[in-house]
Amino acid sequence: MNKTYPLTAAQNMHYRWIKEYKTQQVSGLSIVAAFHMDVSISTLKKCIELEKQRYSCLRLRFTKPDENGEIQQYIADYEPEDLEEVDLTGMSLQEADDIMQNWAYQTFDGDDIPMCEFKIVKLPDGYTGFFVHMDHRLNDSVGIAVMATDIMNLYKHFQLGAEYPAPLADFEKVLVSDLEKASNEKRLARAKHFWDEQLDELGEPLYSDIQGKSVLEEARKKHNDPNLRAADIERKELFVAVKDYQLEVDSMQRAINFCLYNQISPTNLILLVIRTYLSKMNDGQEDITVENFISRRSTQDEMTSGGSRVLCFPCRTVISGDTTFIDAARKIQNHQNRVYMYSGYDPEFIRDEMKKRYNTPDDTTYVSVYLTYQPPMNTSDLDPDAKKLRTHIKWFANGAATKKMYLTVSHLPNRKLNFSYHYQTAQLTEKDAELMYYYMMRILFRGIEDPGRTIDEIINMI
Amino acid sequence: MDEKFEQKFKEVVARYCSVKAEDIKNDMSFRDDLGLSSLDLMTFLGDLEDEFDVEFNFGEDESKLSRVSTVESAMELLQEYME
Repeated sequence: MNKTYPLTAAQNMHYRWIKEYKTQQVSGLSIVAAFHMDVSISTLKKCIELEKQRYSCLRLRFTKPDENGEIQQYIADYEPEDLEEVDLTGMSLQEADDIMQNWAYQTFDGDDIPMCEFKIVKLPDGYTGFFVHMDHRLNDSVGIAVMATDIMNLYKHFQLGAEYPAPLADFEKVLVSDLEKASNEKRLARAKHFWDEQLDELGEPLYSDIQGKSVLEEARKKHNDPNLRAADIERKELFVAVKDYQLEVDSMQRAINFCLYNQISPTNLILLVIRTYLSKMNDGQEDITVENFISRRSTQDEMTSGGSRVLCFPCRTVISGDTTFIDAARKIQNHQNRVYMYSGYDPEFIRDEMKKRYNTPDDTTYVSVYLTYQPPMNTSDLDPDAKKLRTHIKWFANGAATKKMYLTVSHLPNRKLNFSYHYQTAQLTEKDAELMYYYMMRILFRGIEDPGRTIDEIINMI
Repeated sequence: MDEKFEQKFKEVVARYCSVKAEDIKNDMSFRDDLGLSSLDLMTFLGDLEDEFDVEFNFGEDESKLSRVSTVESAMELLQEYME
């Protein structure tokens, strides 16, 4: 076996979910990237095989758990394979998507096995490309985009005579650097100090639910504790449904202009909107926590090394109703800046500390909404013919959510802003997603049209 | 400014951008010239803490953070914390 390494904090986050929810399905990550052109399948296969050699995170495997349930990772040697070709022509694109969606529900069960699988797909309406399904511990959405771009650059080289793409950064080198940083005692102490200080100052967080106060009240009854500040996590019924809403280009641009003018990042603006929505649904509650996913890619090497680099940290906001929208945005931004500074910290340490301090029951949480904001990407790099080409690129949900409501906000190639609500059907319905989007947009536009309005004023207006 | 300090500082900056350490000028802006986002900038500050064994304690004082706009102003801020 090649050299083994412990998991990074980001990988451990997924591994913890696998253990807690007892299925690898919660760690599935799948995408199809297909092009409306005459694709040379033999060349595409060759490029994918080359990619497995260039992008070594795709070859990660995990050892059998030890007596403490801990696993190690290693980069397996490259093994050539003849990729499966699946013909999904002769049906509608929607039917083909439904078939691929089912592939995305498949699990990688076993130790020391490949955790990534490619298929060549021929789709209806003249699209041809590849479907890839992998474990999230190998890579994340940004890393998948890097991979897809590199495959297409290789394709352009072999098929169209373009320059051979530059090598990608060494995954193993970045992994070693991450593990070294994570074990730097001074860095750990500084991060712990930051998070502990917040709890010292603000005390125990308070749960806020998309559906209002009744959820916390139910948890208080169930645990026979009228002062309980956390609510139960759904552990059994993990099925997730997805509802997407798209914000028109003009409206999106107004929001982005607000961000540019006020130097507020879009993530922080969305966090403010979500927490204001939760405040509205929970009778003006001021102490609201939302979990925010951060993709830790800052150095040049980290940009192209691959690997799962996403961590989620609590964004705790204690904002009184008389705070103006812009001041609230700045307050969140200041806090998030510090979170970014210590973003190598394992968020599990924060949860452990809260558990220790407040002795919350098992399987409870302070958070009902999780956010990922994906900044705009240059999708033209994915175009293998260097022309405006129709593409069919689709991310597939793994079908098993560890979170009650997981919102992904991303920029579409048509410049609309997509709000993708992934919600546990055991608890929520499409109506909850619809209401959330409706009120979020009202809060957003009442806030940005007059940032001097207070949070209370905005809640009363909507 | 001490030459070794400046060189070491710019080597850390170079990890975050496509400009070589020796080509980084003191008046370059982290955002406009070197392309760092706010997340990159904060991660960079975390690296500076490790490399120079300091602790930036900005607290709620945003004005200190806003000084980290150019290479030179960031070096000056770092030196203050090192003293």
